[in-house]
Formats: sequence, structure tokens, C-alpha cells
Amino acid sequence: MIAEALEALMESTLDVLKAIIPLVLFFLVFQVFHLRYPRRHVMRLLFGIALTAVGMILFLAGVFLGFLPTGQEMGRFFGGYEEGWVLLAVGVLLGFLATYAEPAVRVLCYQVEKASSGYIKSSLMLYTLSLGVAVLVGIGMARIHYGIPILHIIIPGYILAIILLFASDRDFVGISFDAGGVATGPMAVTFLMSVAVGAASVMEGSDPLVDGFGLIALIALAPIIFVLSLGVIIRMRRGDEG
Amino acid sequence: MREIFQDALKEVVQSVLPISLVVLLIQIFLVGSPPEKIAMFLLSAFMVGLGFTFFLMGVKVGMLPMGEAIGGELAKHGSILFLVLTTFAISFLATVAEPDVRVLTSTITSVSDDVISRSALLLSIAFGVGIFVVLSMLRIVYGVSIKYLYAGSYLLIIALSLFTPPDYLAISFDSGGVTTGPMTVPLILALGTGVASVMAGRSALSDGFGLIGFASIGPILGVMLLGVLLV
Repeated sequence: MIAEALEALMESTLDVLKAIIPLVLFFLVFQVFHLRYPRRHVMRLLFGIALTAVGMILFLAGVFLGFLPTGQEMGRFFGGYEEGWVLLAVGVLLGFLATYAEPAVRVLCYQVEKASSGYIKSSLMLYTLSLGVAVLVGIGMARIHYGIPILHIIIPGYILAIILLFASDRDFVGISFDAGGVATGPMAVTFLMSVAVGAASVMEGSDPLVDGFGLIALIALAPIIFVLSLGVIIRMRRGDEG
Repeated sequence: MREIFQDALKEVVQSVLPISLVVLLIQIFLVGSPPEKIAMFLLSAFMVGLGFTFFLMGVKVGMLPMGEAIGGELAKHGSILFLVLTTFAISFLATVAEPDVRVLTSTITSVSDDVISRSALLLSIAFGVGIFVVLSMLRIVYGVSIKYLYAGSYLLIIALSLFTPPDYLAISFDSGGVTTGPMTVPLILALGTGVASVMAGRSALSDGFGLIGFASIGPILGVMLLGVLLV
């Protein structure tokens, strides 16, 4: 168990370092030529970045060690049920909880509350996002059970998003598309994907690779539709023309 | 620092605890996992929780202030070329470095029977992301409505999806989600709001967001085009 944990930690350390080193170098170049912050301030920023990296290393290793195998096991278990609604309900439940536990989602919600000076509450954003992903992951799981082609869900979803774009409050447009990119973080992608692949693997005539695909697309689409809808509701309540 | 730690810890208990408990209960009572698997899950849930705490603290102390500082500096500088080059450099570097993007490129090369090299693919995805993020940064500067940019891109995606071969189609839609990982999201978010909050007549709320959304559209279009052109 300890050996496995160490191996996962090594791997996630490499991944995180690869992601962070170019950004730190970039910042340092910027610091030397433009920002010229006092040394104390720079040290504090670098300390924060190091903390972010250590946190992400632990997080990724934990997801890989525990949530990935557990997700596959759960997927195989629930995929074996005859009734399609079981997988749908599991998708809704886990979709909600995984988004709720997604690091970058919290950062977006925090940033939205700050930019709106508290007018759009971070918790409102968090619940809207989690609910959206819950609904679309539920649909995604049911799709695997009933063998519905992914395009039959994605294309209408994209069309709905375009319509909502023009009906929504303008403040929510940028946020909604950012939220789509943010919701597809390591928890959603690794954990939910492994549940889907596990479920597809026990179903007859189902190809885990093909059926596992498309789930990330649905997770990315969910916040767009739901945050834009939130914008529509807020605009209607205010009763203006946007 | 102590206050930031307590805030982060509180948020983590709220976020990691629910999913861990539900998974644990399902594992014990429904799936009936052996004790060693349960122990492994408990260890990993602890790692996830601790990691989440450090991550959130670090983002507030380091990542967000750094992004806002760079964004504010870019806007104050007043040179569009400087803004464009810097934005391109950051998003290009972030994409090349993103672990999930590497996974994506190896999937595509295997689907395409090695017609295109992995590094060429990686560079073209990073290039695509860079260009799209620059476009959405210019949108903030010139005050172009984001609705039309998104609507146009989505219509293009829908149209292309009719001609894209099935293998590429499956990858393309998923590829949009992988370009921005948790390490780069805070930086790019802060960059946008940083630029918008410094510029006159722009609001951080309605103009500062949208960069990450565009970073996701680039690869979807890119992979679809690749499929249309190669097959």
C-alpha cells in the first residue's frame, strides 16, 4: 500500500512540475523586467505557488490511488443492473459530489464572487455548477445503458447553449464558458470517467473505449447550459432588456 | 496565513468529505469491497483532502495575486502587441505543460495510425489554444460582444461535426475539457479579470471572464479539422 502510494506520488510530482515550471519561469522573467516587486513580496508569491503545487501533487495521487479504482469497481457493480434508472441515479449523485469536490471549480466561484463584489454568491455558482454536471452525467450514464449515440445528446445541447447565449444576462456569458472548462478537472475526468468505463465494460455489445468517450464533453457542456440559464432567470427577475 | 488555512480547511471538509463518505458507504454496503481496498481508499481520501487544502491556500496566496499582477501590468503598459505576445506565451506554455494534453495527443496519434507525429500535434493544439486566448483577450480590449464569438464557434463546431470521421469526433468533443487543468485555471482567470479591472470602461465581471472557455474551443475545432483533412 505504501509502495503504491509512493509511486503515485512520484508520478503526480512529475506531472505537476512539468505544468508549473514554465509558468514560474515566465513570472520570474516578468518580475525582472516589468513588475520589480520587493523581494519579500516575491517570496510570498513563490511560497503560494509551491503550496499550490504540493497540494495538487497530493490531490492527483489520491484521486489516482483511491478514486480511480473505486470508480471502476462501482461502475461495474451498478452497470450490472437490469434497470437503466439505477445507473442514471448513480450518475446524478456522483456527478454532483465530484463537481463539489473539484479544486478549480472552487477557484472560479471564489473569483466570480470577488469580481461581482459579492453580487453573485460563490455558493450559488457552486450549486448551479454541481447541479448541472449532476444532470448531464446522469444522462451520460443512462446513455451508456440504452446505447444512445453521443451526438444525439451533444448537438441539441450545443444548440440549446447558443439559444441561451442570447437570452442570458451578459455578465454570465463569459463565466458560463469558463465554468465549462473548469468543471472538467481531475476529479470529474478521472473518477466519473472510470465509473463510466467500468459500467460500459460489463454491458453486452458495449465498447468501453467508445462509450467512455463523450462523458467529458457532457461535463463541459453542463455548466454552460446551467450557468446561462441562471443568467436568464436573473435577467427575468430584474425585468430588463440586458 | 492562519486564517487562510482555516478557511481552506473548512471548505475542504465541505467538499471532499461528502464524496468520500458516499463512496465509502457504497463500497462497504453495496459493492462489498475487501478491507484492504477500503483502507487504500481512506488513505487516498486523506491525501485528496490535504492536497485540496494546500491547493486552495496556495492559489489565494500565490496563483491569483500573480495572475492579477501580470494582467494589471499588461493593461497598464498600453501596448497591444505586448499584451498579445504575453497572453500567447502564457497560454501556449500552459497547454504544452498540461499533463492531460499529453494524454490526448498520444490517443490521437494512435487513432490516426501515426500519420502525424505527437510533437507536431502537441504544438498545433498549443498554438490553437494560444490563438483563441489571444482573440478573447483582444475582445476585452476592443469591447466586442462575447456572445457572437461563442455562437459563431459553436455553429462552426456543429457544422464540422457532420463531416468529421467517428474516431476523431469522439476525441474532439472530449479534447476541449483537457487543455486547462487546475494549475493553469487560476492564472488565466486572474489574467483576464486583472486586465479588465485595470482598463477604463471594462468591468471585471462582464468582460474579465471567458478566456478559459475559449481555450476549450480551440482544440475541439482543431481535432475536427484534423479529422476532416486527414481522412
